[in-house]
Amino acid sequence: MKHESTDQTKWYCDKCQRELELAKVKVKYMEGNFEVDLMKCPSCNQVFIDETLALGKMKEVEEGLEDK
Amino acid sequence: MKRIISTTQSLCPVCLKRIKAIIWEKKEEAWMEKSCPEHGRFKALLWRGSIPMTKWVRNKIPATIKKTNTAVEKGCPFDCGLCAEHRQHTCTALIEVTQRCNLNCSFCFADANGNAEADLDLETIRRMYQSAMDTSGNCNIQLSGGEPTLRDDLPELIRIGHELGFSFIQINTNGIRMGEDEAYVSALKKAGLNSVFLQFDGTKDEIYKDLRGKPLLETKIKAIKNCQRYNIGVVLVPTLVSDVNDSDLGNIINFGLEWAPTVKGVHMQPVSYFGRIPNLPDEQKRLTLGDLIDKIEDQTQRRIRKDSFSPPGCENARCSFHGNYTVSENGELIAQVGISKCCGVETAEEGARKAKAHVLRKWSGVGPEPQDDGIKSAAVPAKDGWDAILDQINRHSFSLSAMAFQDVWNLDLNRVKDCCIHVVNPQGQLIPFCMYNLTDKNGHAIYRQQ
Repeated sequence: MKHESTDQTKWYCDKCQRELELAKVKVKYMEGNFEVDLMKCPSCNQVFIDETLALGKMKEVEEGLEDK
Repeated sequence: MKRIISTTQSLCPVCLKRIKAIIWEKKEEAWMEKSCPEHGRFKALLWRGSIPMTKWVRNKIPATIKKTNTAVEKGCPFDCGLCAEHRQHTCTALIEVTQRCNLNCSFCFADANGNAEADLDLETIRRMYQSAMDTSGNCNIQLSGGEPTLRDDLPELIRIGHELGFSFIQINTNGIRMGEDEAYVSALKKAGLNSVFLQFDGTKDEIYKDLRGKPLLETKIKAIKNCQRYNIGVVLVPTLVSDVNDSDLGNIINFGLEWAPTVKGVHMQPVSYFGRIPNLPDEQKRLTLGDLIDKIEDQTQRRIRKDSFSPPGCENARCSFHGNYTVSENGELIAQVGISKCCGVETAEEGARKAKAHVLRKWSGVGPEPQDDGIKSAAVPAKDGWDAILDQINRHSFSLSAMAFQDVWNLDLNRVKDCCIHVVNPQGQLIPFCMYNLTDKNGHAIYRQQ
C-alpha cells in the first residue's frame, strides 16, 4: 500500500496499483457474519484497516470479546 | 484404582489445626483425605464429572501483594490478610453493610437473621472501601450482608464507593425490597448501582420454600422487572443443593435467557458447609464443579456444551468455571471460546485485570431499552457494520459461571492463597471469602464476628 497525500486521502494497492474503494466486506465474529464498510482493492480484494478503525471500534470489539 | 494426585494442607474440621492432606482420583471422582492426630480421619469429595479434575488446570505466575495488611506469623490461613504469602490481588471486595436480614434461610454463610446488631456507620464503611483501594486498587465491589437492601442509606453507600474511585458496584440481595419498592430501585440506580447479584434458587416455589422458608418466585420476577425498568444488570445466583434444585439448572438458564439482556448471566454456587447449615455434609451428595458442568450440558440438551466452559485466569482453576455466549437472532447461544487461550504462560496479575474488566463489561446494565410489561425476547435485530457487532457483544452477551466455595471439610490451602474474592472486615483487613466464612464442625469461625 502507498499513501498519496490529498485532502481526501487516497490509498493504493502496491501490488495491483489500483486505488482502494470503499466496499462491503464480510467479517466473522462469534460465528456470526457481519458486513462492514472497508477500503478494498478491486483487483486482489486485499482490505486496508486504517488506524482510526483499528484503535477505535475494532479495538472495542476485541476488548468486548476478551475472556477472563 | 486410586491415584494420588497431590498433597496439600488443610484444617481439622474439629479443632481447626493445620494438617496435611492428600488428594486422590478414582475414575470420575477426586477426593481429599486428611488425618488429625486428635480427631481422626476425614474424607471429602472435591470433584466428580466427565472432565477429570486433573484436566481442569490453568497455571499462573503468582502475584506479589504490593501492600500487605498483616504479617506472616502463624501461617495460612491464620494471618489474613492480605499477607505476603498470598498470591493474588482482589478481584472482588465484599463489604457486609448489615447483619440484619428479612429471611431466615436454612443455609446462610453469614448466619444472618433478624438480630438487631447495629449496622456499620458510614465512616467505617468509607475506611473499608479505602483499605480495599489501598491494597488492591480499583477492584469490583460487592455490597453484601445480611440483606443490604434493609439499609435505607444503601444509595449513599454506593455513591461513596464511586466517589472513592470504584468503577463497578454490585449488591448481593434476595430481591425482596427490589421487587416491592420501585422508588428504592430508582434511588440505587441514581447512586450508580451497576449490577444486582440476585439470589435465585430456581423456577419453582417449592425450591424457595425449602431453602428460604417461603415462596419467592413472583418476588424475584418483580425485582427483575424493576431492574429492567432502570437498566440495572442482573445476575441470577442459585445456591445449589443436591436433590433440592440441582435438576432445575436448565430451567434457571432458560429463565435467564428469557430475561436477557436485563439478566446478564447465571452464577451458580454449589452449597458449602459453613455458617448456618441444616446438616453436616453427606459427601456423596456434595455438588462439585464437575457435576454442574455435566448437568448443564444434560439439562440444556447439549445446547450448552461442556467444552464451552473454561477454568479461571484470576483465582485457582479449581474454584470456578465460566462460559461466555452471545444470543443470536434466532435465540441460539453462540459460545465465545478460545479467545483468551492463545498466549502461553499467564500471570495472576493479568488474570485479575481481565476478570475485573470482564465483570464490569458483562454484568453491568445495558443502555435504554424499550419498555415492555411482558417477558422480553432475547432475539437480536439484524444490523450491519461494526455497531451491530458491538451491539451483539455488549447487549446480547450472556455468561454462565460457577464458584465452588471451600468449607472446613474440603479445604485446600493452596486454593486459598490464590483467592481473589476478599471480604473487607471493619478493621480494613482483606480476608479470602471462604476463610472469612469458614466454621468448624461446631460452628466456630476463624474470622467472622471477631
